[in-house]
Amino acid sequence: MKLSLLAMALGGSVAQASVVSLLTVSGATPDLPIMLTLFWALRRGPEAGCVAGFLAGLFQDVTGGGLVGVQALTKAVSGFALGLAAGRMWGESPLVQVPALVLVTIAEGIARWALLQLFHYPAPLGALLSEVILPQALYNGVLGAAGLVALTAAEAVRARLAWR
Amino acid sequence: MRLRKYALLLLVLAVCLLMLTVQTRGGGTGRITDALSVLTTPFQVVLVKLHRGAIALWTEYIDWKSARRENAGLRFENEGLRLQSLQVQETSQENARLRRLLSLRERLPLSTLPSEVIGRESGGWVRSVTVNRGIGDGIATQTPVVVPDGLVGRVVRVRPGNSIVQLLNDPASTIGAIAQRTRTVGLVEGDPSGAVRFKFMARDGASIGPGDLIVTSGQGNIFPKGLPVGRVTAIEDKGSALFHFAVLAPAVDFARLEEVLLLTGQTTKDLAAAFAVDG
Repeated sequence: MKLSLLAMALGGSVAQASVVSLLTVSGATPDLPIMLTLFWALRRGPEAGCVAGFLAGLFQDVTGGGLVGVQALTKAVSGFALGLAAGRMWGESPLVQVPALVLVTIAEGIARWALLQLFHYPAPLGALLSEVILPQALYNGVLGAAGLVALTAAEAVRARLAWR
Repeated sequence: MRLRKYALLLLVLAVCLLMLTVQTRGGGTGRITDALSVLTTPFQVVLVKLHRGAIALWTEYIDWKSARRENAGLRFENEGLRLQSLQVQETSQENARLRRLLSLRERLPLSTLPSEVIGRESGGWVRSVTVNRGIGDGIATQTPVVVPDGLVGRVVRVRPGNSIVQLLNDPASTIGAIAQRTRTVGLVEGDPSGAVRFKFMARDGASIGPGDLIVTSGQGNIFPKGLPVGRVTAIEDKGSALFHFAVLAPAVDFARLEEVLLLTGQTTKDLAAAFAVDG
C-alpha cells in the first residue's frame, strides 16, 4: 500500500508537470494530483488521504518550481478532510464524489491562495477564482465523472468475467 | 487511533511549514528538493518521451487519416474522369464508325438506309441481329445488309419497327459467291460452330489459297456483285470429292456490329471498288 501510494503520488505529480498540458482546454488544466488524493482519501480514509495529498503536493511543488511545501500542505489538508468526510457520508456514490471533487478543488485553491498571502503572493483571489480555480474545478469534475464511468464499466466487465 | 490521525496531520503540517519557513528565511530547501528531483526527474523524462511518442503517433494517425480522406476524394475524382474519358472515347469511336458508314453510303451507287443494331441472337441455332428499321421504313425481306468491312447478311423477317437480319455465319445462310482472284464460283455457307465456309467445285478451285478474297457473285438477284464476304484461311481438301471447302475469316466482325447499312436499292454494278477504299 505504501509503495502504491508513493507511486500514485509520484506518477500523478510528474504527469501533471509533463503531459497534462495536452489536456488544456481554453487555458484550463485538470489537477491530477488532487483527483488522485480524493480517490485515495475516499477509499482509505483520512490518514491515507493526508499522506497521499502531502506526497502528491510535495512532488508537484518540486516539479512545478514554486515554494516547496505549499501544495503539500493544502493537498494534505484536503486529503485529510475528504477522508474524514467520506466516513460520514456515502463516499462511494458518484453523486457525492464528483461534486466533492469540484468543491475540494475550489477549497484547495482558496487555501493555497491564503497560504501564499503569507509570502506576499500578488494575484487577487477574484481573478484567480474566475481564471484558474473555477475552470479547473469544473474540468476536474468533468474528468472525474468520465473517470468514474470508465472505472464502473471496467469493474462491471471484470465482474462479468469473474462470474463466467 | 483518533489521536494518531490528527497527529499525522499535525506532523505533515509542521513539515510543510518548516519547509516554507526555511525557504523564506533564505536557507532554502536545496538538499530536500534536490533529492526529490533525483526521484522525479527519471519519471519526467520517461513521461515526456511517452508524451512525445504519443504526439508523434497521433500526428501520424492524423496524417494517415488526412491522406486517406484525400485518397478517397482523388479516387472519386479519378472515377469521374475515367467515366468522362470513356464517354469521350465511346463518342469518338461512334463518330469514326458513323463517318465510315456515311462514306460507304456516299460511294455506293444505290439507295441505302442506315440502321442501328438493337439486339442479337448468337446461341448457335440461329445467328442474327435485330435492327431498328421495319415495315414503316419500306424494308423488305432479302434486303442485303452491309458495313464498311463487307457483307453482314440479309433481312429474313420484317416487323413493325424492326427487322431480323440473318448473319453470314448462321447455319441456314447460303450466299452465291466468287473468289475475286480466280473467279471460282461457289456458295458461302454458315456453320453451327459459327465458322463460314466457301463450297466450290474442286476442279475449278485448285488455285484458291489462303488470303484469297471471296465476294458476292451477284447471281440470284439478292446481293449486288462484289460485296466482300471473307478471306480464305484454309482449304479442306476432300481428295477426289466433287466439292471442296475453303474456311473463311468473315470480312465483318459480327460481335462488334453496331450500325449497318440496308441496301434498299438495286444495282448490277460490281461494288467491290466501294469497299476496297476502306480496306
